[in-house]
Amino acid sequence: MSQSSIGLPHFLIVGAALFALGMVTVVTRRNAVGILMGVELILNAANVNFVAFNHFVEGPGKLTGQVFSIFVIVLAAAEAAIGLAIVLAIYQTFRTIDVQETDLLRQ
Amino acid sequence: MAVASSNLRAWLVRLAVLVAGLLVLAGASVLHALGKLPTAPTIAAQYFGVVGVVWGLNGFIFRNLPLSGWFSLPVFSAAVFGALFLVGYFFQSVAGPFLIDSAGRFIGLVRLVDLIFYAFAVMTIGGAAGCAFSRNIIYSAWSLLFAFMGVAGLYVFLGADFPAVAQVLIYVGGILVLILFAIMLTKQIGEDPKLTNAHLALPVGAALAAVTVGTLAYMAVMAPWKLTPEPSYQPMSAALGVAFLTDFLLPFEVASVVLLAALVGAVIIARKEIKETSDTILQ
Repeated sequence: MSQSSIGLPHFLIVGAALFALGMVTVVTRRNAVGILMGVELILNAANVNFVAFNHFVEGPGKLTGQVFSIFVIVLAAAEAAIGLAIVLAIYQTFRTIDVQETDLLRQ
Repeated sequence: MAVASSNLRAWLVRLAVLVAGLLVLAGASVLHALGKLPTAPTIAAQYFGVVGVVWGLNGFIFRNLPLSGWFSLPVFSAAVFGALFLVGYFFQSVAGPFLIDSAGRFIGLVRLVDLIFYAFAVMTIGGAAGCAFSRNIIYSAWSLLFAFMGVAGLYVFLGADFPAVAQVLIYVGGILVLILFAIMLTKQIGEDPKLTNAHLALPVGAALAAVTVGTLAYMAVMAPWKLTPEPSYQPMSAALGVAFLTDFLLPFEVASVVLLAALVGAVIIARKEIKETSDTILQ
């Protein structure tokens, strides 16, 4: 097999860019659904790093990184379901999902 | 009505002269390239073609220029012809050979695999950037689709077949649809998109992103990773299933319990309003 010139740093840089953009989304958004999208981006960045390290560092035949990425995907699905349910509950209470205006513990 | 029809006729005449000028220009160039036409008649025919094109365009985009007289039109056409001649000479004699030469070297250096990787990387980062900086929350969700698909492509590149398929099925097929449902149910699309997806302190966020990317990229490039000598590309799904039921059995069971709890919890949290309304109806 011909050796590709794409190495571990390429994937790590893509993961870093994903993480930074997700962090910007989480920090700057006021819409709660937008914040959840940023969290999904951050989880994807972590997943890219897990799988890249599994491929380039852990070696052939090992798959701990892939197992970790599957667990991250599972927990991301659970997080999305719970988070969006909470967003819906907030919307039903406050009639908005702007996170700056939802500052009451009970109404 | 008469004014409108005469306007239309003038417009059609301009259009016909424009097309004729273009045809003369192209025909003279092709004949010259085939060796059928000497240089001097070619340049003359091209000049008349440019005059026709300029006079035709005077009805459309050069409308502000006073090109009606018998003096200004040929002079302006000569200027346009000179500029076009210089541009054509530059591309044919200087830039063209250089571009073809550098493209040949570039294709010799870059492999198709690398190009596909860069395509997926650009797709991923572009989708993430669209999600981060888009004004409309619906556009953010659709850019998230590109980011997820790009990450799935990167998984394929890394020899991780099962995570790639799981990424497409769960993220694109599940989480993205869930996000779109949440956007629709919270009814913030029809209102002002700038309000629905407002930013706080975007310059600060961009600076934060730049610092983070710089630091992490520096670490990724400079750190002495213990690389495996020969990365392999084998089907891993069967081995992954065996690992889930042997080495990782306890996390696997815990994950299933967590998923069940999340399912029940999401239903209970989201059902709140229906319960309240039914209570009020009962009262």
